[in-house]
Amino acid sequence: MELESLKTIWKELEPQPTPEKDGELILALLQKRSRGPVARMRRNLIRELLLIIVTYIPLILFYLVEFEGRLSAISGLVFLLGLFFCGYYYRKMLLLNEMQCVSCMVRSNLARHVKTLKKYTRFYLLAGTLVMPFTAIYCYAILHWNLPHASGIQLYHRLSPAPWWANSIYWLLLLAPLTIAIYYLNAWYINKLYGRHIKKLQELLREMDEE
Amino acid sequence: MLYPDLQEAFIHLVNQHRGILHKVCRLYCFTETDRQDLFQEIIVQLWRSYPSFRGDARFSTWLYRIALNTAISDLRKQRRRITLTDPELLPAELQDIQYSGEKEEQLQLLYKAINKLTEVEKALTMLYLEDKSYQEMEDILGISQNNLRVKMNRIKDKLRKMTKEAAYGIGKP
Repeated sequence: MELESLKTIWKELEPQPTPEKDGELILALLQKRSRGPVARMRRNLIRELLLIIVTYIPLILFYLVEFEGRLSAISGLVFLLGLFFCGYYYRKMLLLNEMQCVSCMVRSNLARHVKTLKKYTRFYLLAGTLVMPFTAIYCYAILHWNLPHASGIQLYHRLSPAPWWANSIYWLLLLAPLTIAIYYLNAWYINKLYGRHIKKLQELLREMDEE
Repeated sequence: MLYPDLQEAFIHLVNQHRGILHKVCRLYCFTETDRQDLFQEIIVQLWRSYPSFRGDARFSTWLYRIALNTAISDLRKQRRRITLTDPELLPAELQDIQYSGEKEEQLQLLYKAINKLTEVEKALTMLYLEDKSYQEMEDILGISQNNLRVKMNRIKDKLRKMTKEAAYGIGKP
């Protein structure tokens, strides 16, 4: 079959216009929300943020008010974690907002999508890994300086009558492998979520560029 | 309705060019449900971008960009892949159009061949079949005209080979 005859067939594919019916259909579609990947990521992010707000605020209030305020350091920890998450979601939202430019040329939109999605996953990995040592160090600080004095009892067992710096080193020794494990766990999870998508976009971009 | 005039103008323009949208959906999706989903997504994206459309580019160029960007980067899992060998499996909006037996067969050959192409090749094929110039293709895809010519020649060879093979039963078991 000649390609020119394919063009003729293709042009005959134009559906017959039914303006009223199609107008109604388009109008109905305008009321619907996007189901594209970026829109779904944005919605998930908002849901996660709401979940954090709904669970963290009662926790903060609980530890501030209960136990005569002696455990308010835990409130502080939750508050700091909440702030960390707010910054985290804000940065992720900014990245999602700049991820797509659907009215741009296809190649530049793909390049932009790949670049921003990679930034997004790197940030996801960094934040997901840092939250672990951050929380652990804060907990250590609470146990070491705050709570024992506040409650008047020893809440944790000293490993030995060792000097103060030895405990810190033991703590760090325990924290290092845990952080490394969290890093790899996060990397695996992020790759599972976005790895295939990034690879496919990169392949498309490569295909567009190769001659 | 917040912007009735804007909405009306938008619907009018989209209606005029809706053939393009149906063709994009048909090229990139294999089932009716996927096609409807993609059609909806393209309309949503068009509507969102419409206020920023300043007429610097032709409306059809702008529409092609959004439709192809949405179709190409929307990498949701496609439902079961259907090979168009049965006339009843033709896209719904095409079933009303009456074709002669020979045209029907040619149409199916065309779809079968296009379905074997990659996403980027499909976009190029569509623009070629729509008689777009290399300049317009460059404006839509952002690929240099030299590169487009090389790719287009390769795709034409592929299409020729595939439609011939299918027409003469070459390569069938």
